[in-house]
Amino acid sequence: MSNLEGQDWIYSEKVKDHFLNPRNFLMGDESKFKYDAVGQVGNPICGDQMRMYIKVGHDKDGREIIKDVRWKTYGCASAIASTSALSELCKGRTLDDALNIGAKDIDDYLGNLPKHKFHCSVLGHDALKEAISNYRQKTK
Amino acid sequence: MVYLDNAATVPLLPCVRQAMHEAEEKFFANASALHTPGHLAMNKVEECRAVLAELVGAEPSEIIFTSGATESNNTIIRTFEGHQIDCSPMEHHSLLEAARIYKGRELPKLYSYMLYNNETGEKLKLPVTDGNSFLHSDLTQTLGKVAVNVKDLGLDYATFSAHKIGGPIGVGALYVRDGAPFKFLLVGGNQEHKRRGGTYNTVGIAGFLAALEYARDNKTWDIYNKTVRKIRDTLAKRILVGIPGSSLNTDTRRGKSLPNILNVSFEAAEGESIQLYLDAEGIVVSTGSACAAGDIKPSHVLMAKTGDAEIAHSSIRFSFGLDNTMADVERVMEVLPGIIDRLQKISTIKRSKDE
Repeated sequence: MSNLEGQDWIYSEKVKDHFLNPRNFLMGDESKFKYDAVGQVGNPICGDQMRMYIKVGHDKDGREIIKDVRWKTYGCASAIASTSALSELCKGRTLDDALNIGAKDIDDYLGNLPKHKFHCSVLGHDALKEAISNYRQKTK
Repeated sequence: MVYLDNAATVPLLPCVRQAMHEAEEKFFANASALHTPGHLAMNKVEECRAVLAELVGAEPSEIIFTSGATESNNTIIRTFEGHQIDCSPMEHHSLLEAARIYKGRELPKLYSYMLYNNETGEKLKLPVTDGNSFLHSDLTQTLGKVAVNVKDLGLDYATFSAHKIGGPIGVGALYVRDGAPFKFLLVGGNQEHKRRGGTYNTVGIAGFLAALEYARDNKTWDIYNKTVRKIRDTLAKRILVGIPGSSLNTDTRRGKSLPNILNVSFEAAEGESIQLYLDAEGIVVSTGSACAAGDIKPSHVLMAKTGDAEIAHSSIRFSFGLDNTMADVERVMEVLPGIIDRLQKISTIKRSKDE
């Protein structure tokens, strides 16, 4: 458990950092990033929606990896932070490995999100799974 | 810090803090006691009762002190337990939830309509009652902002809260028209003529008194109507002109809303994120987004008004107090356009104009 005493922000320092300084986001027009596949999860009606754009490459053993990644999010601070964290977590991983990233990995990476936020704002890994699946469909 | 969350709580007025310190020293005794210190404490309670009664056009005997608006609202709903209850969809959760649990089918019927809404500031039309119905109005946001008279409004009941006018949290009041049905909520004490059990919160009530006197002596409703309205309207104009995708959820025309509340939605940008980016810049606001309240549903008020969850999730409420100035508007406009622009650019939702 994180120590909440004296903390002036509702999230952990790591969440705050990823919210205030998000990594790998895609600003504006999608065409700015040459991606191979995209996946989306969530719904603006529920307040959160995430999209993951992946560019696939190969490692030295010839395995397919996520060479680069960008994301877009409509959502609360923890939605933005968790998508940003996911983008850091998945970059450079093989596609098979990236498919194993779950909500708990993102939560651990960020040092625990508030419980009531967990189910609604940690969704990005499903968008990533969809992007990988779309990529595999395309290249089958 | 630029504090624009006055509809949630107004910071304690300096005169209130002083009055409460004084009360802690002088009026510490149990106000129900017959000895001199008790009597002195009771004098303070009765003084507050008289000032509130005068300010809202009631008789002192028609005012009951409570722990706040939630208790006042619950008390009236429980009075009508098993009866028909008609609440406006804009009511506070403390009314809607209580009504959902306790309403029934018997007559007479209770109407509960707030005069001004806390999220949009919107003015509601109060229903007209007949011999088979009674009218309660939650005046929590109204007190001190707009001059009111409970008799002129035709009210049988009204709810008031101290911390929305610079008084302490934990003190409120209930107006019960002489002769209107009433059932107590808290039993076990003879306080308030057996209408509300519990030792008098003399220190809190002394703070409420100081806040009420401040409102009365400064005619705060005039300051809100002239000065605060100008600041609110300026921010509204600046946002509409300077921030693409912004739309007002508050009708800022005179007579349509409280002069100190401005509710705005920003297309494709989510409210909690806007709120927390503003917070990081030292600007304090609130949002109707579900996330912020730890709820799964966004603001029921904005849903009732617009029927559009995206508008509700993307809403920010700026609520002004007597301390705010035009410099606060400038400070908001220094950072808000950039925050919205960035959120819109990383959003999965395209603004309708861009499509």
